[in-house]
Amino acid sequence: MPKPSDLLQGTLDLLILKTLSREPQHGWGLAKRMLELSDDVLTVQQGSLYPALHRLEQQGWIEAEWKDTKQGRSAKFYTLTREGRQQLERELTIWKRLSSAVGLLLKNA
Amino acid sequence: MSLLRPLRVWRLRLRSLVRKDAADTELHRELAFHFDQLVAEQIEQGLTPDAARQAAHRAFGNAAALEESCRDERRVTWIHDLQQDIVYGVRMLRKQPVFTAVAAASLALGIGANAAVLGAFDAVIVQGLPVAHAERLVAIQSVALDNPSQLAGNSLADYAAFRDRTQSFDAMDLSIKSAGDVADDEPGAPPQRTTGQSVTPGWLTMLGIEPLMGRVFTVAESQPSSPAQVVVISHAFWQRRFGSDPEILTRHIRVQGTVRAIIGVMPAEFRYQEPGVDYWVPLFVGARPDASGRLFGVRARLKPAVSLAQAQAELDAIATQLVAEAPVQHKGWGVRVRPLNEFLFGWTREPLLTLEAAVALVLLIGCANVAALLLSRSSVRRREVALRTALGAGRGRIIRQLLTESVLLAIAGGALGLIVALIGQRALLTMATPPGSPPLTAIGLNARVISLLALLSIGTGLVCGLIPAIRGSRLDPMSSLKEAAPSAGPVRRRTFPQGVLVSVQLALALVLLIGSGLLLKSLVRQVQRDLNFEPQGLVQFDFNVPAGRYAQRIGSHHGFPYFEIGPAPAQTLARVLDRLRTVPGAESVAAISAPPVDAFVLATMEVVLEGSPAISHAASAGGPSINVDAPNNDATYFLVTPNLFGTIRTPIVRGRDFTSRDTVTAPWVAIVNETFARRFWPGEDPIGKRFTLDTVPEEQPRQVVGVVRDIPTRHAESPQPVVYASYLQQPSRYRGPWAGLFGQMQFMIRPSGDPTATISAVRKAIGEIDPGRPLVDVTATASHLRAGTGRFRSFVWLVSVFAAVAMLLAAIGTYGVMAYTVDQRRREIGIRRALGAGRREIVAMVGRRAVAFVAIGLAGGLAGALALTRLIESQLWDVTPTDPLTFVAVSVLLVAIAAIACMIPARRALSVDPTVALRTD
Repeated sequence: MPKPSDLLQGTLDLLILKTLSREPQHGWGLAKRMLELSDDVLTVQQGSLYPALHRLEQQGWIEAEWKDTKQGRSAKFYTLTREGRQQLERELTIWKRLSSAVGLLLKNA
Repeated sequence: MSLLRPLRVWRLRLRSLVRKDAADTELHRELAFHFDQLVAEQIEQGLTPDAARQAAHRAFGNAAALEESCRDERRVTWIHDLQQDIVYGVRMLRKQPVFTAVAAASLALGIGANAAVLGAFDAVIVQGLPVAHAERLVAIQSVALDNPSQLAGNSLADYAAFRDRTQSFDAMDLSIKSAGDVADDEPGAPPQRTTGQSVTPGWLTMLGIEPLMGRVFTVAESQPSSPAQVVVISHAFWQRRFGSDPEILTRHIRVQGTVRAIIGVMPAEFRYQEPGVDYWVPLFVGARPDASGRLFGVRARLKPAVSLAQAQAELDAIATQLVAEAPVQHKGWGVRVRPLNEFLFGWTREPLLTLEAAVALVLLIGCANVAALLLSRSSVRRREVALRTALGAGRGRIIRQLLTESVLLAIAGGALGLIVALIGQRALLTMATPPGSPPLTAIGLNARVISLLALLSIGTGLVCGLIPAIRGSRLDPMSSLKEAAPSAGPVRRRTFPQGVLVSVQLALALVLLIGSGLLLKSLVRQVQRDLNFEPQGLVQFDFNVPAGRYAQRIGSHHGFPYFEIGPAPAQTLARVLDRLRTVPGAESVAAISAPPVDAFVLATMEVVLEGSPAISHAASAGGPSINVDAPNNDATYFLVTPNLFGTIRTPIVRGRDFTSRDTVTAPWVAIVNETFARRFWPGEDPIGKRFTLDTVPEEQPRQVVGVVRDIPTRHAESPQPVVYASYLQQPSRYRGPWAGLFGQMQFMIRPSGDPTATISAVRKAIGEIDPGRPLVDVTATASHLRAGTGRFRSFVWLVSVFAAVAMLLAAIGTYGVMAYTVDQRRREIGIRRALGAGRREIVAMVGRRAVAFVAIGLAGGLAGALALTRLIESQLWDVTPTDPLTFVAVSVLLVAIAAIACMIPARRALSVDPTVALRTD
């Protein structure tokens, strides 16, 4: 099973942005959702997840807000900002070009 | 792109910086939430709460490390780290005040001295004159082709040719200083001796400095047909003489007998010229002046885009033309153009570079000192560093922490260095200027010096701290933590770098000590030079009859002022001499027109030997002359009274002294020095030869009646040809710049008993002769001579101070490392003592390494000195750069000091109590 460190550089940021684009999430929920959306393949360790979240926050792509969870606990929820959405589009374009290029190479080589 | 994102980003950064605690709490809560969710998940899967927590801990990993890496994403952590490092560093430094003081002082000396010298170099040499187009201003001088180091002023003929034939310059002007002028204004104000300059109209404004008040001369005002009686005065003179009178432009002063209107005051910053010049009067130079005296200073401004080399080439061509046109005047002389700043302050280059070399060595020694101290300490701090490593500090973080400490140390040193720099700059300003150069006033602590200090401090800190930091961080935490106390282990290897640093320090100090030793020896040689007279016991005072009382200007001749000289000065001087001869206690009395050694201004005369035509007449006739091959016929000229040589005890080699029979009506005679005799009549007997001084037709040929030993006219120069003539045998007219020559005398008195009684009797006698005269200032001739070596003395003194500082630092460094080594080996020494080792074995054990490192330092220093002292050869006097005596003496001194520095720790090694040493474990 691939670990996040095996993910291509910058891919984690893309996955987080994409996942957050559906709805605001706290760190725990985000990890769960990513696991779920990848059919239990992508386990994101907190050791990578939280620094990535803080990095994206510092870059202004996401912003944080303390809100109560459904269980009534206070948690830090991350939301995609307007610029974050634009950034996600850019990274998606890059990713698509890259993955199709990789696919092409693997097919033709 | 909207502005929102940068705004948000900056708000976050700011928050992590100023509200760090809040941000940290939030981070902690965020991760705690995640952890709680993990625990909840485990419990859901059926684990007990305790087991669930344990499982969650395992899954979660190192929470502190995770928090740290999240904090790292804030991009401001380095600021916090730095803050932490500084707080911690300051605490560490304060815990060890002795170490901190020694290290900071070592660096302060080096940093401060470097800032002072580099600041001076920057101000004087690099920045140049703070005037417009400073880079285009040049000084033009004559150069004797057979002796390129002999530079002189230009003659008027040179100037007129340069001015009229060159294309390279957009301005060219000249000046001549007149010594012994008198300025007196409205009746009642006492007359005053000042110095002035005659200048061509553009001279004052060429530097781009406008007058503070009024105006400068116009070209019309300098025309000889209608000379305007105007004068421009200096700022200092305006303040001193006129109390900064705002109405100054309405006043007049009498200058050399001529009443002149004051038309302008130059500002205080107009000082890039000879010191002490108080006024300027206009001078006109016609198209074809034929005076040949090289007495004028020529300044010019290059046209934009004309290089110095182009100007030099153009002037060279003109010099060649001049030789072809008038060989008698010009043969043997070339022309040299130099940047004005170099001309004025070029003399500072060599001493400043030498000083910079010295202080650079001091700084290097200081660095080595601090590095050795830090290395020693870093071994003491092994356990602390190991602990920090074990607690998760990376190697980079440790290095940063250790470097911060050394930079802090260096900044403290830099702050102290500011004081050193201030003192150093004051010391540099005392470097006496050579005669004719403006004083060094431009040196000061400016922004450049301060930033230099800051750069030096931080750079020094990094350099000093790097090796110790890298070594200090290279640790295996396990072994270091296990090690309870310094072991008896491989001290040798551990203290090896410190030993090398000791060698380096000693070597550097030795280089500096040898350099300063050579300079000191030169100074001693200079001071002890045989001057061929006996200053000891002589007293002297300056007496002058103002030129205005006897010199009547009757016009100008070949561009020089032309004077009628009355009989008054000789009569007054004769009266003074007669009176002084009756003063009780004065064994012998005589006078000479200027101090025989190191006079500020020396009069020179052109000598025409009998049988050769007078030079200027030959020049105007254009004919060849037998003198053409002797390029320089100038001789220094003194007026003296009878018995001068007896009074100052200068041996008369041949012939006789002047006597009272050598009056103006008797045949005119002269006494020359040996150099004069050798130059003009090599291999012949000079007694009975005749020559004429090229001044005026009234000057009579003089017959040589005596030859005296060479009295060097300057302390540090080889003897020049000198003519002595009787003050009574002088022409009634004079043409040239030294009209004051006839009324000024330096009376030399040799008291037979107590000089103080004689001095007061002398002052009383002068008061009787001329009641209106201020009391004369009688000084010991020996102290006048000391002043003559002042420039070299202050320079040598500075270098020696730095050498002593270097030695002290090296001694402290040696002591520190030795003491540390002994400390590290306490247990070993204790064991050896317990096993029966005697005092000699212990001293040998400790000393063996010390001897090795001192020997390496000595060898390195000697090699360095042999290679480097050549560089100061031009500043040495009568001492070779490899003077064996200096090398040996200084080496012995260094070894002795190093031995003392090693002895103290060695004695401490002997006092180690075996039982105590063994128990410390």
